Amino acid sequence: MSQERKKRWVMVVDPDKCIDCKACDVACKRENKIDAGTDRQVYRNWITSKGVEGTFPHLKQRFEPSQCQHCDNPPCVKVCPTSASYQTPEGLVAIDYKRCIVCATCILACPYDARFKSPQTKVIDKCTFCAHRIAQGKLPACVDTCPTKVRVFGDLNDPDSEVSRLLARHHYYVLKPEKGTKPSLFYLS
Amino acid sequence: MNTLTINGKLINSRGDLAWLLTTGVLCLIGLVGLANYLIQGHDAYNIYRQVPWGILISTYIFFVVSSTGLCLVSSLGHVFGIKQFEVIGKRAIAMAIITLLSGFAVIAAEIGYPFRMLIYNILTPNLAAAIWWMGTLYGLYLVFILLEFRFMIKVNHKWAGYLGLAGFIAGVAAHSNLGAVFGYLDARPWWHGPFLPIYFILSAAVTGCAIILLLYAVRYAREEMPVRISETLVSISRLFAMLLGILLFFEAWKVLTSVYGGAPGKYEAMMILLSGPLSWSFWGFEILLGMLLPFILLLATGGRNLKVATWAALSSMIGIFFMRYNLVVTGQLVPLRSDVDAVGASGLLSYTPSLTEIAIVLGGMGLCLLLYILAGRFFNLDADNH
Ligand code: SF4
Ligand code: SF4
Repeated sequence: MSQERKKRWVMVVDPDKCIDCKACDVACKRENKIDAGTDRQVYRNWITSKGVEGTFPHLKQRFEPSQCQHCDNPPCVKVCPTSASYQTPEGLVAIDYKRCIVCATCILACPYDARFKSPQTKVIDKCTFCAHRIAQGKLPACVDTCPTKVRVFGDLNDPDSEVSRLLARHHYYVLKPEKGTKPSLFYLS
Repeated sequence: MNTLTINGKLINSRGDLAWLLTTGVLCLIGLVGLANYLIQGHDAYNIYRQVPWGILISTYIFFVVSSTGLCLVSSLGHVFGIKQFEVIGKRAIAMAIITLLSGFAVIAAEIGYPFRMLIYNILTPNLAAAIWWMGTLYGLYLVFILLEFRFMIKVNHKWAGYLGLAGFIAGVAAHSNLGAVFGYLDARPWWHGPFLPIYFILSAAVTGCAIILLLYAVRYAREEMPVRISETLVSISRLFAMLLGILLFFEAWKVLTSVYGGAPGKYEAMMILLSGPLSWSFWGFEILLGMLLPFILLLATGGRNLKVATWAALSSMIGIFFMRYNLVVTGQLVPLRSDVDAVGASGLLSYTPSLTEIAIVLGGMGLCLLLYILAGRFFNLDADNH
């Protein structure tokens, strides 16, 4: 009888497992029909190389995959004049493409460089957490494809979800916490 | 062979012809740029993911700052009742309308879907967005100053005054919201904060003084200037000098607070201007031509010499054009992620306007001149004798 609890979709990322294979980038582009062509600035997710850590012989190369953080306090939504950028009750930050006027203010407001103009739709685009797949009960394409299971996706409001359990057991951090955006991507440390 | 006329008025001098020719050439260049944009879309511009705002945004700002500035200075007369300034009212408001329209034209070529903006600004407004307020308030402002101009033409001082006040309020509000478009962005430390909304108003007033001096220098290039106009212009050039002094002081504190603590984002951006890739534009144009030279020229002549004041105004306007460019571009050149492809060896992003962008900027200037020439032909922009 109880009403279904509101969900809060988040992603937990274990950067130590990332091998920079870029399967997530490829899967994302395929799933979301993004054709970058020759434009190297067209992508929804990316891998940052954090360089080599440690001292010889205990060296370690670190990578940090990232994308739109689906911020709980998203500056991109605040600045959008036509409400094209909006937040769903489940914590996704989405774009209603037909309302986007390409003023690009959201690109500048986002501290993570998560947004770009799509060569296909000619409006602003970014990671949607594969909202269309979530609706079918599937995982985002990047999560599904990652060979080393760097990415874990789930409902933070469900205490039994894998994301909730991971965050309860591990130390974690978020990117640029000082910007006050309250990201929904959590990195295990 | 002088048979060229506009609205029945003969184009009767070499000077007029030179202006028309310049205007025509600029408009033509603009049309070529526009055509290229319509064919290629944003690919014709050098803006990209990390630097999405280019010279068209800064030129838009240049124009709308001019408009607000003209409105501010003209309101000294018919809104705030300083009688002396009333003589410049009509010409100033006409130019305020023209520069605003030119600004709108330029930004329409930058925003992807300007008409969609008109629709969704009304259907699904976001009241938290500075862009929404800026657009809406500038729209209102345009209506007010158009009406104000109409009442001025009809010599209805009472209503011109009321609408002047409405225009003043809407103009200042719109313009400070334009500052807030930048000031609200926490992601961009060099822009963020209350400085820009305030600075925009001050620099608008500076621009307003400069443009009025230029308009009257051209108006009376071949005729003797009436005394009451030259007296007003002397007051304006003194006001101009004082405002330039204050602007220099604003600028100095912006520089000092940006570099003082070495705060990430702010510091690197300021250094782009002080000693980085845009230092020529900052020192040469923004500081020297935009502020220092005109300030010195005006102080040295006590503002009394209108020839010198005209040169000061011209120098300042050129500098201010670059000042807007510096503001818009520099704020984007510090990358948010240091490992993106576009970041150069210096650790910074870069941007140089494309030919199409430059052509559209020149076209905007052409449009502004064209509208002004037409306004002079269709309306009497000189003060009424009463
Ligand atoms: S990461 Fe950027 S685009 Fe995504 S929600 Fe946050 S501010 Fe918006
Ligand atoms: S570019 Fe589109 S989504 Fe971004 S702020 Fe402008 S209208 Fe909104």
